[in-house]
Amino acid sequence: MVEPKIFCVTGGKGGTGKTLVAVNLAIMFKNRGYKVLLIDGDVENPNTFLLLNAKLKNKTEVLYFLPKIIEEKCTKCGLCAENCETHALLYIKDSYPIPISTVCSGCKLCYKICPTDAIEPDLKVIGWTYTASAFNIDLFLGELKPAEARSAVIVNKLMENLENIIKTEPEKYDIVILDTAPGAHCDVEELINSADFVVPVTEPTRFGKVDLLRIIELIDLLKRKYKAIVNRSSLLGYKEKFLKELEEKDIEILGDIPLDEEIVSSYCQGIPLMEESSKFDRDGAGYKSFEKIFENLIKWGGFSK
Amino acid sequence: MVIIGIPTFGNLGLKEVMNNRFGRCASFTFVTIENNEIVEVKSVANDAAGAMGGAGIQAAQIIGNNGATEVIVGNLGPNASNSLNAVNIKIYQSQGGSLTVKELIDLRLSGKLQVLTASNVGAHAGMGGGRGGGMGGGRGMGGGGQGRQF
Amino acid sequence: MGWFFKVNRKKIAVISGKGGVGKTSLVASLASIAHKDQDINLIILDCDVDAPNLALILPPKSEEDVLTQDTFTTKKATFLEEKCIQCKQCYDDHFCEFNALNWDENNNIPVIDYLACEGCAACRVLCPEDAFEINPVKSGEIITYETDAGFPLIYGKTKLGSTTSGLLVSEVKQHATNLKEFDEANLILIDGPPGIGCPVIATVSGLDYIVAITEPTPSGLHDMKRAIEMVDQFNIPFGIVINKADLKSASQKQLNKFIEKAGFEILGRINFDLSIPEAMSYAKPVVDYAPESAASQAINKIYARLKLILSKL
Repeated sequence: MVEPKIFCVTGGKGGTGKTLVAVNLAIMFKNRGYKVLLIDGDVENPNTFLLLNAKLKNKTEVLYFLPKIIEEKCTKCGLCAENCETHALLYIKDSYPIPISTVCSGCKLCYKICPTDAIEPDLKVIGWTYTASAFNIDLFLGELKPAEARSAVIVNKLMENLENIIKTEPEKYDIVILDTAPGAHCDVEELINSADFVVPVTEPTRFGKVDLLRIIELIDLLKRKYKAIVNRSSLLGYKEKFLKELEEKDIEILGDIPLDEEIVSSYCQGIPLMEESSKFDRDGAGYKSFEKIFENLIKWGGFSK
Repeated sequence: MVIIGIPTFGNLGLKEVMNNRFGRCASFTFVTIENNEIVEVKSVANDAAGAMGGAGIQAAQIIGNNGATEVIVGNLGPNASNSLNAVNIKIYQSQGGSLTVKELIDLRLSGKLQVLTASNVGAHAGMGGGRGGGMGGGRGMGGGGQGRQF
Repeated sequence: MGWFFKVNRKKIAVISGKGGVGKTSLVASLASIAHKDQDINLIILDCDVDAPNLALILPPKSEEDVLTQDTFTTKKATFLEEKCIQCKQCYDDHFCEFNALNWDENNNIPVIDYLACEGCAACRVLCPEDAFEINPVKSGEIITYETDAGFPLIYGKTKLGSTTSGLLVSEVKQHATNLKEFDEANLILIDGPPGIGCPVIATVSGLDYIVAITEPTPSGLHDMKRAIEMVDQFNIPFGIVINKADLKSASQKQLNKFIEKAGFEILGRINFDLSIPEAMSYAKPVVDYAPESAASQAINKIYARLKLILSKL
């Protein structure tokens, strides 16, 4: 029994091409006959389905704990509010405490310590998960409800769904690709932590460099293996210096992707550049660069197929 | 009898200038009105001023625990607004400018202040949410900014 | 001394939803233009605390004057071994909803997963032996300096794994009020984080105006819609800047249609212009690097439009 290999595509900086890389890696694995699951963990702004022109299905609410006060049992003692670290229970003497949903951390302490069992768990919707299939790859996607803040809970939910699949059908997928949000916060951290291989995508600008070093710091902290991809590598000016700096810091790269009209066009059409049935130019600079990256990735991952 | 709470900077009573911030004001001045006359004025320090999160909720608690049924405010975040509404405290909006407690009470008594129904600014403290679990001790706050309003 | 906005300080942020569409480039250029404007006293904040980059384009005048302060917006649990009687109740009864409390079978004591801990204090309150404490820990840094152009800049930077971006953003904004320049400042311009979650909400709260920048791609459009949905909940007026506006794509039409239908204000369009990535590789605002370029002219127009709108708010 073989569990799937998990790749995490991340990048620190926004807009470096994380989703572009994640989607095309998924497609290239599929082209080679692997069973692929793509998970879009950028729940604030999930975009993978746009690049795949996929129809989202199985909309499922992600619920989160919120205390509910049972007035018949409540003695208005105020113990719950006194102990709530985030002040999510509004208590005015001689009245029932009132839960303030936006600041509740969901720690359930109030529910656990109420001396008269006057607090029951209630649930609120903070976002949704979806599934989809396109170009013979499966997609899990999470969406944060606008103005809600607990994005990490939705990322957790996606990873829980993955764990369940690995537990019940370990051979359903050979490859899982995780696409992260920009930044280096807890959502990104959780996905990197779940992966066997991490692929930070960067661009040869000063911003790209600073953000890459930061995300690598996080990857090192989590003790994961990584190799970087340099996108927009034909950008003027900084590239040579950039590559040299990566080399000096012993940052290995899987390859680079030049600026290419076909990439932009594939992106806007919702057909992945590397899809075998597509009509993109097999000799184009973008296409060639992805092929090279994939060969390096296969070697790195020790795949034989 | 009605008690009105106003966010302020110190304890100068009716001479205090209103603080535009609600959750993080330095003090509240409570004015008791009977038959359109001011009968009592007291100042209460706002313990929540330095809190990293949930300041609006704690401030609403202070208002409620001092028996006020009305507040006059400048800016009000959604947490504070939800909290005040939840305990049926009537919210009046000041017109802006640096008005004193006395001037605001006069405006209120002559019916010149508008009732506010929803919050007029976003949440102040990162909503204590996905990335903002912990609430620090406010040590990062600079002392010099106490009286200033962002 | 400026007369403009004198009575009312204007606080605005540039956000986008999607990352990498040009927030920081636009902010740097707007800052450069605003600083040269006689009417404006400017303070710049970078609230993208996960990846603060504005400082690269707007570096300090002197490294010696850079002030770095630690922030403590995160709380974490600490285990006090001397008090523990190894009853294992904390683990067996699942005190921690965030799975940050694990059991070390070898030493027979609880172990706290520092990254997972939310500082909710459930362990402290529930432990019968008081063997847990909750303490503030360093969550990041706030860096303040005068840029070489001569206006103050503040940015925050999270400590990796500190899970506190939103609160750190609020701290950055609070720090602005400590500046000696604050009283005279009539424009506070903020470079926002990507996304629509906690840090963005903390950024836009209490602001007077939002500039949403996007590009005519499917994800640019999708993410901008979500960002606007979030901004709308806080009743803050906003205008849209379209970057790479001449990109050939089907989204072009959709974007225009969407904006037109919704009646949103378009502050301006910036066509793709090589001087932007070039300016970026030299770490200069494009309006300084190539003042005559089409992009610079477009950004100057955007500034003028923005100034007019702010003066009427």
